Amino acid sequence: MRIVIADDTVLLREGVAGLLEDAGHTVVARVGDAEALLSVVAEHEPDLAIVDVRMPPTYEDEGMRAAAEIRQRRPETAVLVLSQHVESNHAVELVGSGGGFGYLLKDRILDVDEFLEAAERVSSGGSALDPEVVKQLLVPPAGDDTLDQLTPREREVLGLMAEGRTNAGIAKQLWLTERTVETHVSSILGKLELHGADGHRRVLAVLAYLRAAV
Amino acid sequence: MPVRIALTAREAKDGGMQRLRLAACGVATATTVFLALPVLDVGGLRGGIPLWLVPFVAAAFLAPTTVGLLIALRHPGNRIAWIMLTGAFVVTLQFPLVLALDEGWALQIDRATWPLLYAWPIAVAYVFPNGRLLSPRWRWVIGAAIVSFVGVIGLMLLNPGPFYGDDADVPNPMAGSAVGTWADEHLEWLFWVLWVGMLASLVAGAVAIRLRLRRSSGIERLQVLWLAWAALLVPVVLALCFVSGFLGWVLGVTFFDWVVFPLLLGVEIAMAVSVGVAVARYRLYAIERLVNRTLVYVTLTTLLVGAFAGLTIGLGVLAGSGSEWVTAVATLVVATGFLPLRRRIQDLVDRRFSRARYDGVRRVRTFEDEVRDGRRAPEEIGTILAEALRDPLAELRFWLPATEAFADATGELVELSDDGRARTEIDRDGARTAVLLHDTALLERLDLLNGVLAAAALSIEMARLRVELRLQLAEVEASRARIVEAGYEERRRLERDLHDGAQQRLVSLGVQVRRLQRGLPRGAAVLSPALDRVVDEIGGAIGDLRQIAAGVRPARLDDGLSAALADLARSAPIPVDVDVPHERVQASVEAAAYFVACEALTNAVRYASASRVSMRAVRENGTLLVSITDDGIGGAVVRRGSGLAGLKDRVAAHGGTLAVSSPRGRGTRVEVAIPCES
Repeated sequence: MRIVIADDTVLLREGVAGLLEDAGHTVVARVGDAEALLSVVAEHEPDLAIVDVRMPPTYEDEGMRAAAEIRQRRPETAVLVLSQHVESNHAVELVGSGGGFGYLLKDRILDVDEFLEAAERVSSGGSALDPEVVKQLLVPPAGDDTLDQLTPREREVLGLMAEGRTNAGIAKQLWLTERTVETHVSSILGKLELHGADGHRRVLAVLAYLRAAV
Repeated sequence: MPVRIALTAREAKDGGMQRLRLAACGVATATTVFLALPVLDVGGLRGGIPLWLVPFVAAAFLAPTTVGLLIALRHPGNRIAWIMLTGAFVVTLQFPLVLALDEGWALQIDRATWPLLYAWPIAVAYVFPNGRLLSPRWRWVIGAAIVSFVGVIGLMLLNPGPFYGDDADVPNPMAGSAVGTWADEHLEWLFWVLWVGMLASLVAGAVAIRLRLRRSSGIERLQVLWLAWAALLVPVVLALCFVSGFLGWVLGVTFFDWVVFPLLLGVEIAMAVSVGVAVARYRLYAIERLVNRTLVYVTLTTLLVGAFAGLTIGLGVLAGSGSEWVTAVATLVVATGFLPLRRRIQDLVDRRFSRARYDGVRRVRTFEDEVRDGRRAPEEIGTILAEALRDPLAELRFWLPATEAFADATGELVELSDDGRARTEIDRDGARTAVLLHDTALLERLDLLNGVLAAAALSIEMARLRVELRLQLAEVEASRARIVEAGYEERRRLERDLHDGAQQRLVSLGVQVRRLQRGLPRGAAVLSPALDRVVDEIGGAIGDLRQIAAGVRPARLDDGLSAALADLARSAPIPVDVDVPHERVQASVEAAAYFVACEALTNAVRYASASRVSMRAVRENGTLLVSITDDGIGGAVVRRGSGLAGLKDRVAAHGGTLAVSSPRGRGTRVEVAIPCES
């Protein structure tokens, strides 16, 4: 996998690059701001761009805007956005707008295997949404008891679905068989009245449902 | 002709003008020489006039001559100059004439020519100040005046009657003359007709001045006012003549030499001087005020004299003439009546003759009453002044000594632009309070301007103080808002520093440990669990930092109040309804509302045992209204030093309000209203 990394903290950028290279990926470019990111993406046409949200010059949401720009100019490049804190509105919006997109808190990198898996998932057209964001989405707003119909296990499965995991991924995470996960999934989709959703469309449907509920 | 006093080059070269100038000098010299005859008592010409009166006599003739000559030298064609020059000259002409004639004719001329004293002042009144008549119809008035004067003088010259007083034994040269006797017997009615005509021409002079006053404006008006002032002295003198005559009759003495004659000469001098001032220095004194006061005292004197005479005669009939009681009572009545009568007359004169000033001052007084009743704000004094001065473009600028700047009534600081308007400084106790920008025409109406400004002085100072206070308050509020804003900015910076600084370093530290862990040779795998614990610790530290940063300022506020409150609701241990619109207002207002909601929610959970909280926000007319309601035990109060009290100050710093209603047992409702922009 050919990857570009955009982060203004050199130490962290090099560390992440090292992890990715250790895992056998090629880091084709490392840059420190959004403008440079857009030009290296155009130049190297990478499979994945890992982007820090806050970058110079204003340290606001340059990374987020650059991610949207990449998605528009070169949809073939998947984007994984890293953030210091949860900004669920933007995150859900971007992840929910199609595959090949991920949003994680920075400290998820420390769980290296999970991080690498998420990166691969995103670059192969899937999605990744930080568990923290999903947790906020799963808190039922007062007055809406639809989510209350789900069993605790089903809610757990729903959360992992929202994170963008495949059935196999969910099964591995929860120490269940894939069949059991499939049963849970179809029960959840039934209760939430989300039919005929599969693959990444399933994530979109779940996110759309959760966002509408908020 | 004051406005044309400066010579034009053409006039200066004109030979005709030069000749006129020479003639004026000639007339003035002749007048002076003739006047020297009685002054130096040549041939006993001074007669019975006491020595101390001599300067009066000299001044009475020299004053019009000098003024006339001065005007004639500058502007030889000026009719007024010639009226004065010839007026004085004609009267002094009698002195050499009398010297050349015998004693009888001298007395006859002396007796007949006194009306000439009034001729030139009346003529001046007709044509002042531009040398032209008011209208062609005034020719008839002039014609009638000339006929009257000439007729009266002529008939008196023919008068064959004997002389009186010390001269009773001098024979009248007309005595026994056929013409004189015939005229005396048959034309007495004509004499009185002409006499009334003479009086009428005097009245016509007063009418002319009055008409000019009404029709003129600016400089011309001031000039006419000067003349009017001198003309006013005529009735004063008449009244005093009457009094002295009356007292003389009562006491059996004649005051003619002591009072009446000097007064008559005084009027002559005053008339000449006022013409001179009007022509050359019309802005010398506050003439309006002078006229006003003179008018008041003329009326007052006339009324009091009338009352005194009436009372004395009336009571004299009842109590017998000569009684001291009569005089005492009359004096008492007149003395008691003086002050109230003066006030009434002053009011009447103001209303009748200084209408604009009277109305202006009254406008200001009415305004003061309205301010007292709370119907108007003191700051409106500027508008009132514009109304009172009848200058719609007049504007008042308040002086702020602290900022050394001018402000308008709204407290807006303004520069005084040079737009051609006049500026009048308004002081109070020597300190500048304001400046009035007004039409330059008002400078010709200083009585109106000063009168109205004097009446408004207190109101202006009051308005100025209020404007100053409001400005200072606004400044304090602005600085408080700036401080709070700076506080929010500081929180935002701190939150950034935590996330982008310390947290980033911890993450990269963790990443390095992970790389180290994954690069461990097979034999060192035993270290792996320890490194896992290190990374867990680092993860924990990052979590802590994130919590702290969120307390300083939730990063979620970047997405708006609704997003931040939704997050807050999700993390709450009890159900929270959030109904907050997505629209954005400025960040500091959102932060203030957020922290209030946060505090209210904490209180609801911690102290009120609430089971449900609802948060509502709505934007209405530029105000963000937020309410947080719980179903807890109520009874909450905002104590000093409590969280809500601090928030109340913060909300106030944004110009907003925070209210807590918490009836015991019926829940608590916190309401915030903060002015906002989108």
